Amino acid sequence: MKVVEINDVCKTYHDTEVEVKAVDGVTLSFEKGDFAVIVGPSGSGKTTLLNLIGGLDHPTAGEIIVAGHRLSELKPSQLIDFRMEHVGFVFQSYNLIPVLTAAENVEFIMNLQRWPKEKRKARTDEMLQSVGLSDRHKSRPSQLSGGQQQRVAVARALAPRPEFILADEPTANLDTKSAETLLDIMEKLNREEQMTFIFSTHDVRVMKRARRVITLEDGKVVSDIRTNHNS
Amino acid sequence: MKDYQLAWKNLWRNRKRTLITAASVFFAVFLALIMRSFQLGTYQKLYSDVIESYSGYLQLQSSEFLDEPGLDNGFVVDESMIARLEADPEVTAVIPRLESFALTASGSRTQGVMVIGMDPEKEHDGLNMRNRMVKYKLTPGAVASLKTEVLPERSARLLDLLINESYTNEEKMLLDLGLSPGDSSAFMPLLRKHASFENSYLSSSDTASAIIGSGLSEYLQAGVGDTLVLMGQGFHGTSAAGLFVVKGIVSLPTPDIDNVFVYLPIEAARWFYAAPGMATSAIINIRNREDKVLFKTQERLNEAVGEELKVRNWRELNALLLNQMEADNKSGAIMLGILYLVIAFGVFGTVLMMLAERRREFGMLVSIGMQKHRLAKVVSLEMLMIGLLGVLAGVAASLPLVFYGNDRPLRFRGEMAKMYEDYGFEAVMPMLQPDSYYLWQVVIVLLIIAVAVAFSVRKILKLNIINALRA
Repeated sequence: MKVVEINDVCKTYHDTEVEVKAVDGVTLSFEKGDFAVIVGPSGSGKTTLLNLIGGLDHPTAGEIIVAGHRLSELKPSQLIDFRMEHVGFVFQSYNLIPVLTAAENVEFIMNLQRWPKEKRKARTDEMLQSVGLSDRHKSRPSQLSGGQQQRVAVARALAPRPEFILADEPTANLDTKSAETLLDIMEKLNREEQMTFIFSTHDVRVMKRARRVITLEDGKVVSDIRTNHNS
Repeated sequence: MKDYQLAWKNLWRNRKRTLITAASVFFAVFLALIMRSFQLGTYQKLYSDVIESYSGYLQLQSSEFLDEPGLDNGFVVDESMIARLEADPEVTAVIPRLESFALTASGSRTQGVMVIGMDPEKEHDGLNMRNRMVKYKLTPGAVASLKTEVLPERSARLLDLLINESYTNEEKMLLDLGLSPGDSSAFMPLLRKHASFENSYLSSSDTASAIIGSGLSEYLQAGVGDTLVLMGQGFHGTSAAGLFVVKGIVSLPTPDIDNVFVYLPIEAARWFYAAPGMATSAIINIRNREDKVLFKTQERLNEAVGEELKVRNWRELNALLLNQMEADNKSGAIMLGILYLVIAFGVFGTVLMMLAERRREFGMLVSIGMQKHRLAKVVSLEMLMIGLLGVLAGVAASLPLVFYGNDRPLRFRGEMAKMYEDYGFEAVMPMLQPDSYYLWQVVIVLLIIAVAVAFSVRKILKLNIINALRA
């Protein structure tokens, strides 16, 4: 089942007098349960492509269909609701809400979605346990290590059961041990919850775990390899 | 988690900044309220002093008297017309007066004075005249005697500052001496013994008696029983001259009045000015003094008095005073404006810093599904909470002070008092009890907050998520 369809998508920036094609005629699709990474040198268009899939940015040309929604047809406020319902985001720099505890951060999106309190609490407990932080419910982000914060961010993204997770360089700020732990958790959730993960990364550790590696150069897909790696 | 809970948590992410911003609002509200309370309290006292001791709320005059006051613009009192006015449901009494200028002398001192011919009983009913009679006076002799008695140290010290001060009641004298009403039973016998002032009020049958303001009495060095020479110009240019014995001394709240007023029974004044049956004005006593009712009463009475006479309200009668107060009020408003401008900059500084610091977080929140209007609501609640924190603290801190200042007005002594009196004001600054001016200060601060909120809401609604995430 296709979760994401990208058809001949372009994104051109006119920041200066120079026209920059960040994404240039990309056609891709992602299936439910994919564990895919988008790789490529800096400026190759990885993050831009991720932003386009997540509805954070609009393509200059082409079409993106996510979970049956044609993104170009959605108004800005509908796009926000779309992201809340269907997309989970994991950012490079964790981006937790500093005034909330780990549990409150995990609950946040479910709160926006108006989940009943009991259901919300149960899912929060479950997610924090999944990421190995069941003893850090009440810790604020400032009381957690970088790896722990990123695990909370993953729990937050996964808790409301989105269609897929977009993770932009999730291990970039983590040490080896923390990165491995995080990837273990993501693989486990991918396996157990059939959650689709789309990463953008430079990190070899992530590439090694991926079952699909898409390489971008100058905004174009230069390779799309399905590996034999079996999680 | 509810939006207000998130806003409350956000408020304390930078505790120092929140407290500093709330404190700046607090000080602005507190200072503005105290300043305004003093200013409005002083105006109110001045108005009520002048109105209640001299002009009254409504006055009947000849239509030309306001522009050209003088005996020649007086009128013959028509009892049937007075009865017509008194028949109005709002009017309790109409009290004719004959007033003009004269020169007075006692011993070697002379002074230009305002002679008020009045009906002693009705004037008391209308303007509380009998209760303005001096009952105690701290003459140098009285002070010396009191110092030989056992008094609290502070009261003994204050006596030196209060030499020649006159009092119409015990409460004020006790207050000035730093004594509480509870000390009355212990010290009033001493004060009565040494500082009581023998004084009598006028009666309608008095033909050659006068009561004078305490300021005038002091200047002329004329006490009860002394004779005043009065000379002036009577009706239609006749000469007016007479001798009047000081029967009593009144303490009038405004120095401008206290220093120049001489009261005579109206028949004595008519005789003195050769103006039989005449009056220059008549105070109209009314039940309801609220401006709205008062103006309606004025309108109704004006219809009853005809063309040649006119009923004037207290605003028309005290236009000069009102103008002075208005000018002073404007300068106060400018001060408040500067104060609020400083606060507005403080609040905006906080908003700008907060928006810059949290830009990335805002981008993240919108990315994960928080609608911008909801985010704007949370930020608005934060600003509102800071504002309300400052406003409520400012109001709460000001209330005890304002009530105290209303109950025990600030009284100036020495040079400061002299300066006040030179301007014609009593050297007293009472505070006005909480009134609509409280509401206005709150509204102004909330308006500043509203502008800050509008600014941050606009910024959030225009937020570019990609740029914000890169911040």
